[in-house]
Amino acid sequence: MTAAPPRRKASEAFAVLARWLMGGLLIYMGLVKALHPVEFLKLVRQYDLAQSAFLLNSIAAALPWFEVFCGALLLAGVAVRGSALVLLGMLLPFTALVLKRALALHAASSLAFCAVKFDCGCGMGEVYICHKLVENGLLMALAVWLSTGRGQLLAVRYSLSRAG
Amino acid sequence: MSAPPAQIAQRGNSGLKAVALEALAVVVVGAALAFVCNAVSPRGLDLTRDHFPGAIRPSAVTSAITNRAVSGGGTNASPLSAAELIAARLKAKDLHLCDRDSVWRLFQDPRYAHNLIVFVDARDDAHYQAGHIPGAHLFDHYRATDYLAGVLTVCQPAEQIVVYCNGGDCEDSEFAAVFLREAGVPNAKLAVYPGGFTEWQTNGLPVELGARQSGVLREKTK
Repeated sequence: MTAAPPRRKASEAFAVLARWLMGGLLIYMGLVKALHPVEFLKLVRQYDLAQSAFLLNSIAAALPWFEVFCGALLLAGVAVRGSALVLLGMLLPFTALVLKRALALHAASSLAFCAVKFDCGCGMGEVYICHKLVENGLLMALAVWLSTGRGQLLAVRYSLSRAG
Repeated sequence: MSAPPAQIAQRGNSGLKAVALEALAVVVVGAALAFVCNAVSPRGLDLTRDHFPGAIRPSAVTSAITNRAVSGGGTNASPLSAAELIAARLKAKDLHLCDRDSVWRLFQDPRYAHNLIVFVDARDDAHYQAGHIPGAHLFDHYRATDYLAGVLTVCQPAEQIVVYCNGGDCEDSEFAAVFLREAGVPNAKLAVYPGGFTEWQTNGLPVELGARQSGVLREKTK
């Protein structure tokens, strides 16, 4: 059996760091929202996602804890590809919603697009829209990368279908 | 020796299926755990309640600003001011507006000392403890079960009720007022102070710290 080439090792180490970074970020942002659910509920309402009070409440109540769960999986290295795929599935519509709201605020004000700043409900307070879009783009790129099978090093159970 | 293309494609398909199934498992288990966490958390949300009674859709507010800006030939058109927006919103909800001078007059009215005029603070407990209009009753309508009975007891015999929150973008005073109306408080008694606690404090008016009737006052500074 031959040892992995140094480039492959470096790439795998970077993938593990990316996995930990994403996991930690998700846990932090999820907990910030979970500990202030009313504030998060008000922010979710701003997106006009649901007319039903039950649906709106359910999104605001469950999403923060769901983020914490996904973050914990990524941090521990459990079901990594599945978690990364779920994360991508959350980030894509969320980014579209943030963009839609930013465009509405931009149209309603005389501000330049990148000067539009609001609390998007991501758990980081008020952010500039362009920064947020870049951040989400990077997170989505990392999620795609992890879902292709990276970040297996130091994983508790990388895949649910076989021991990791 | 490398595998034939058909075998590689088959392996790829089964790999994708495994990842999709794994994602599905994450969604199902994660969602179940999330709802359990919300249920056991002391700060968890009540899923069945409408926390925004009488709400006007946020997109309608943004549209109102945009439409005003592009209407009138675009020459002298100006966006709706914040005060105009609030007044329109209160009118749509059939709520009365109470400006700062009226609130100050009500605060100094002798009936206030006899609970015939009642101030209701629609913010949360942390904000209330940090400072509120002296004598105001806390009513965080997001935790209605903790406060409703007490607030209704003082609101029923009152002649005038002023509901406020932080002011500015804060709509909690409006939701709390609608909530009280739906709980049986006559609409004619209810008024919303849109300037809220921020305006009250900015104008150097007296502020009570801690619990209601704590006796710890920050007196009028202007």
